[in-house]
Amino acid sequence: MSAVASPPSDAGAGGPLLEVTDLAVEFRAPDGVVRAVDGLSYRVEAGRTLAIVGESGSGKSVSSLAVLGLLPDTARVTRGSVRLAGTDLLTLSRKAHRAQCGDQVAMVFQDALAALNPVHTVGYQLTEALRARQGLSRGDARRRAVELLDMVKVPNAQARVKEYPHQFSGGMRQRVMIASALAMDPDVLIADEPTTALDVTVQAQVLRLLAEIQAERRMGLVLITHDLGVVAGVADDVTVMYAGRAVEQAPVVPTYTTPAHPYTRALLRSIPSASGTGRLPVIPGRPPSPAAMPSGCPFHPRCDAVRDVCRTEVPPLAAPAEGRMSACHFAADIMAGVEPPPDDAAKPSDGGERRDSRSLGSDNATIPTFDGPDNRGGDHG
Amino acid sequence: MAEVVLQVRELVKHYPVRSGLLRRSAGAVKAVDGVSLTLERGRTLGLVGESGSGKSTLARVLVGVEKPTSGTVLVDGEDVARLSRAGRKQLRRDVQMVFQDPYTSLNPRMSVSEIVGEPFAIHGIDPPGGRRAAVGELLELVGLDPDHANRYPHQFSGGQRQRVGIARALALRPKILVCDEPVSALDVSVQGQVINLLEDLQAELGLSYLFVAHDLGVVRHIAHDVAVMYLGRIVEQGREAEVYDGAQHPYTQALLSAVPVPDPSVRLVEPSPVVPPPVVDTGSTSGVGGAAIVLEGDPPSPVDPPSGCPFHTRCWLAPTLPEAQPDPIPSYPPTDRPDAGLRLVPPVCETDVPALVHRPEVGTAGSSHVVACHFARERVSPRVEA
Repeated sequence: MSAVASPPSDAGAGGPLLEVTDLAVEFRAPDGVVRAVDGLSYRVEAGRTLAIVGESGSGKSVSSLAVLGLLPDTARVTRGSVRLAGTDLLTLSRKAHRAQCGDQVAMVFQDALAALNPVHTVGYQLTEALRARQGLSRGDARRRAVELLDMVKVPNAQARVKEYPHQFSGGMRQRVMIASALAMDPDVLIADEPTTALDVTVQAQVLRLLAEIQAERRMGLVLITHDLGVVAGVADDVTVMYAGRAVEQAPVVPTYTTPAHPYTRALLRSIPSASGTGRLPVIPGRPPSPAAMPSGCPFHPRCDAVRDVCRTEVPPLAAPAEGRMSACHFAADIMAGVEPPPDDAAKPSDGGERRDSRSLGSDNATIPTFDGPDNRGGDHG
Repeated sequence: MAEVVLQVRELVKHYPVRSGLLRRSAGAVKAVDGVSLTLERGRTLGLVGESGSGKSTLARVLVGVEKPTSGTVLVDGEDVARLSRAGRKQLRRDVQMVFQDPYTSLNPRMSVSEIVGEPFAIHGIDPPGGRRAAVGELLELVGLDPDHANRYPHQFSGGQRQRVGIARALALRPKILVCDEPVSALDVSVQGQVINLLEDLQAELGLSYLFVAHDLGVVRHIAHDVAVMYLGRIVEQGREAEVYDGAQHPYTQALLSAVPVPDPSVRLVEPSPVVPPPVVDTGSTSGVGGAAIVLEGDPPSPVDPPSGCPFHTRCWLAPTLPEAQPDPIPSYPPTDRPDAGLRLVPPVCETDVPALVHRPEVGTAGSSHVVACHFARERVSPRVEA
């Protein structure tokens, strides 16, 4: 996959802030090596929001941990580069990598209660980085903490810096997380499911806050999520991941109007929504385990437009049209909304692979061996 | 009118809050505060609300896991509280529960056949053909392979585990299934499979569902009737189309408008310009767009709910009304709003709890659509009437 071109860039002034090229991450597992991310490339431009969408186990979280140098010891990056302002972070030592990231890339995690330390005040945690890196005095740090809380619109910041995380509601905690990520004034903010644990009304508040701060600071934002509604609401560009690979990359509007990959198309159809109350179109089976990847296109056992070539050849991420990238042999057909041409040869019992979604057979089609423990969530921490 | 299988009247569930050395009662968490609803045979009632609205507590009271503080629950016309011991056991057979988290609601040390067959053992029932055959049938019913009955939960994926949970709930041929967030822990592509399964089972077995969820899209898809909860009370209830297309309560309207829609033409924030402008932004920096109503603050604590209408502290409609007057009572909690005490709210919202009633002047006359708001109206535009 060395010929993979970079995702569409909209010619930002001064080039991308962060550029990930052909990133691959492997985990050591008891039964061999598991490839969690395989050839992921993306760019983050100033003032734009890139959404990385995928189901659990698609590698979306692991790839951002790799960018930040936060991978667990069982994982390693096997190829690719992460260029931040021209420097390839992956060539640096772990310490230098983190030092560089700490100044310019920050991360907001999903579970704010788990990410905040319960025994320190919010104010202390907000300015930990500032004191460690810039040697701020205690008084200055406190003033800065109040400023940060004000910025994320936590009411009565002056009093609340002295409180502990458990005294904050879920939405307020997520604001604290965002404030602490902003403490070092980063160029790029990676937000991993920042609103998944929140109620919809609070989610809307937090998403708006992120967008406002981003616009104000011309920050690049990477939003990792599984919620296609959130993506449609806030993203500028979308990368859809499946089984460790980017399967589609495009600006947000065409992703929804003319998806160029059958997975994207099926995901969009399977969202239960206002439209219709009939039977929900579903994707049969489940995502493949990284330990037992199907041959050919990783999506072929669940694809509704599968052809012979899909079972044997891995489709490269190519551009079916200007500004679009799709890893499907028939991307142009899918985009145009037509079915790919049928196989000339008689189809070898295609129906056997996709039975009724109620039968277990569909799951077996994806994972031939049923004995190994299912890797729950699959994100390996 | 269809046959009513479950009726709840004025149900209240308070948890005492104890504090101090003597564990004195210092108030109560008013988790469910006077809820009435009915569930008809073969239909699905969706219960939506934010966390802390009391929807899960209500579900737990209905299956008998929690005892209500007051109020009545009628299953098939029988008052649950007056049942004998044997009657309660029968009740547990008729009302079963599907839990949210398929990872923790199954015992990892029991095989699937033991899990699904456990209700038979507990109730001392020997189904015709034996338990083994009955378990096999149940697994088949939910789309699992009966040959996998001897496997353990960890050998199944999340979606399959949820099927196991559904099979267990169906073992005793219940009339009512209370589903507490049954798909929220599943991936989108698997979510649909479980929703379809639940719909198939309802058609096949004539089940009635109480479907508790925070995902409004899922509820709209599966439910026939919808009840919206806020701070332990139902604020709006009606047929699915009535509530979703003609919401009358300002909270329901805000909730619906806050749901992210998978359509990039409905933006929560303005898209960034394709060619980035110079660093000094000229126009709007807020990035707030669209017709979405974004509520301020978090839901108040159910320990000390606001007086009057529970929603008045966050209501977007109240301040726009001509009846609005300066707020003599500081909003709750006082520190959570920068404009505490300055908020304009009609006095009636602060003093009187609005009743859940049908408002023929707003909705369709004669329908079952009810709303608890003094100023209920369909959201045409937030205009102010003289």
